[in-house]
Amino acid sequence: MNPSLKLLLVIIISLEISFTNKIVVNLLLIGIALVDLLCHKVKWQTLARLILLPLFPALVIAITIRWFSPGHSTFYALVMVSRLYAYCFLGAVVTTSTSLLELAHSLEQNAHLPAKFAYGTLAAINLIPKTIQEVKTIRVAAQMRGIMLHFWSPQLYFKAILSALKWSDDLAQAMESQGFVEGQPRTHARIIRVRPLDWFITASSLILLQTGLIWLP
Amino acid sequence: MNEQIQIDSLQFSYQDQPPILQIPHLTIPLHHLTLLHGPSGSGKSTFLKILAGLLPKYGGSLSGRITFPTNVKPALMFQDPSMQFALDTPRHEIEFALENLRVPRHKIPNRTAAALTDVGITKLADRQFTTLSGGEQQRATLAVIVAMQKEIILLDEPFASLDHHNRDLILQQLVKLQQRGKTIIIADHDLSAYTQLDPNVISFREDVRTLTPSEREQLFQQFRSLSQPTTSLPDPTAAAAITLQDFTLSRQNSCLIQQEQLNIIKSHITLLTGESGSGKSTLFQAFINLVPHQGNIQVNQRPLRKYSRRQLGQTIGLVFQNANDQFMNVTVNDELNLSLTHGHHPYFTQQRLATVLKQLGLSELKERVVYSLSGGQRKKLQILLMLMMGQPILLMDEPFSGLDSRSIRAVIDLIRNCQVVQPQTIIIISHQLAGLADLIDYHLVLDHQHLRYQGGATR
Repeated sequence: MNPSLKLLLVIIISLEISFTNKIVVNLLLIGIALVDLLCHKVKWQTLARLILLPLFPALVIAITIRWFSPGHSTFYALVMVSRLYAYCFLGAVVTTSTSLLELAHSLEQNAHLPAKFAYGTLAAINLIPKTIQEVKTIRVAAQMRGIMLHFWSPQLYFKAILSALKWSDDLAQAMESQGFVEGQPRTHARIIRVRPLDWFITASSLILLQTGLIWLP
Repeated sequence: MNEQIQIDSLQFSYQDQPPILQIPHLTIPLHHLTLLHGPSGSGKSTFLKILAGLLPKYGGSLSGRITFPTNVKPALMFQDPSMQFALDTPRHEIEFALENLRVPRHKIPNRTAAALTDVGITKLADRQFTTLSGGEQQRATLAVIVAMQKEIILLDEPFASLDHHNRDLILQQLVKLQQRGKTIIIADHDLSAYTQLDPNVISFREDVRTLTPSEREQLFQQFRSLSQPTTSLPDPTAAAAITLQDFTLSRQNSCLIQQEQLNIIKSHITLLTGESGSGKSTLFQAFINLVPHQGNIQVNQRPLRKYSRRQLGQTIGLVFQNANDQFMNVTVNDELNLSLTHGHHPYFTQQRLATVLKQLGLSELKERVVYSLSGGQRKKLQILLMLMMGQPILLMDEPFSGLDSRSIRAVIDLIRNCQVVQPQTIIIISHQLAGLADLIDYHLVLDHQHLRYQGGATR
């Protein structure tokens, strides 16, 4: 499916379920997402993480609503928990089946987002592993100078922000010396198409969702 | 006619500071190899960025005039290879550049493949940049430039951290490009690689001007006379500061080093060389627990994993390859004070420190923000800061890269003076071997995943 449409669809679904309280719909969405994930041969570690990570916030929300809200409603507690999981699973569907480069290409070509935005975001995401290594390096550099930095130390963030600023400047210069000019038209090595089938899937999914939201309990 | 780049009364400065570059008049011929040579901080990088059109756009103010014969925009290869990629792999990066130039879609795959083959990195085309070594990254950048078919290619210290093998590969490529009529302008301190190529040399020492053939020959002669250091093998019974046992180091599933047994000799200076990407820097990172390893590392007869973070920081110091990684504060003075407060090296009394700062050319820069210093000044400050800390073991990763020969001299003298007062175990990774002969005691070579001492008779 086309990455931009997929992202759009997931965003619309997420918005709709945040304004409605239908446990069955949420559960159905989780189920469909799970099937999709399994079809894409998702690793079981990823799946385990997907189930375990939201568990703590989900429990906190459930307990708060069930025992500490004025209504003491079990129903709303379950709605919130299922909604949280629906968000996570829908998000996972997008990230496991689409590479970031595909998404960036699609956002540029199909959604006509400015190329600066698409590639800037991509570059930032490619910098994440570098950022993690940078934080480790900063801590080691500090300990060699006799300072112990902890994750709450302002100096750690000062250095990290400095690095980030320098990287963004370097990156802008590097992109420019590779011929990138803001707002100038570009050609595309890979064309990302929107097939009629993509529109059909999007439209029918949305119709099914409305039906479910109206008719299901 | 007009086959040259012409520069008239050019002046560049940052904010309220005195101009860092002044060129009354200069011409650079097209279709030639031109070298910019001069001490660190003399404005070579700045000049290249001005030619590339990046400055003053990204800071500073410029006056004067630069006339290009045609309205070509030059391509620039940066000093730090890891910071010039917006995408994830060499192939995507080249495609990105070609898309920017509005190359029709059906031509992109061929031009990408041709550039990759031309530079000889077809095998690396789909590897993530984070898994490539510095040398491989520089070659990827060159592939991007080749694919873009730019007429003028600017390179800023392209070989600063590359070994001879990679340097020669890239140089051959550049010669090929120049023979096809491209203009190549390189900023470099180490001219030894270019003596055969009949380049045009522009000196950035004092005033910026083109050298006459005889001056150029004189300059080259200095670089030809430099030779490889000769060392002796260590005594097998000598005390060891670091011992490796059944040691394995890997990166992204590929094995870098496999070593049954190795001693790094205590209180001596060991030079570590090897191909770029062979794992020298990664070995240093393993010594300070920045990357995982298998097997045993003993530091002063005690397993590395028994050290707490604080203890390790007090035992092993590292001079990072990238100077910015070293700094903790904002100004030069803050940095010096931090090292004075926590440092233990007995050599650095207030008086000696003042002398050292003068010798390194840093004494006038105390109020400056460290990040505003030139590459060479930062390198010297960084080395000084770590020497002041005085850990028993000091690892130096390319401490001389980006330094001119006078600065290298000053740094070597400083290390030697420190060593007299309090001998440290020092390991130096360096591709720059000029002038190191009388500093180092042992020479360790990393080759085919194995570390081996090189040299003549046992000392």
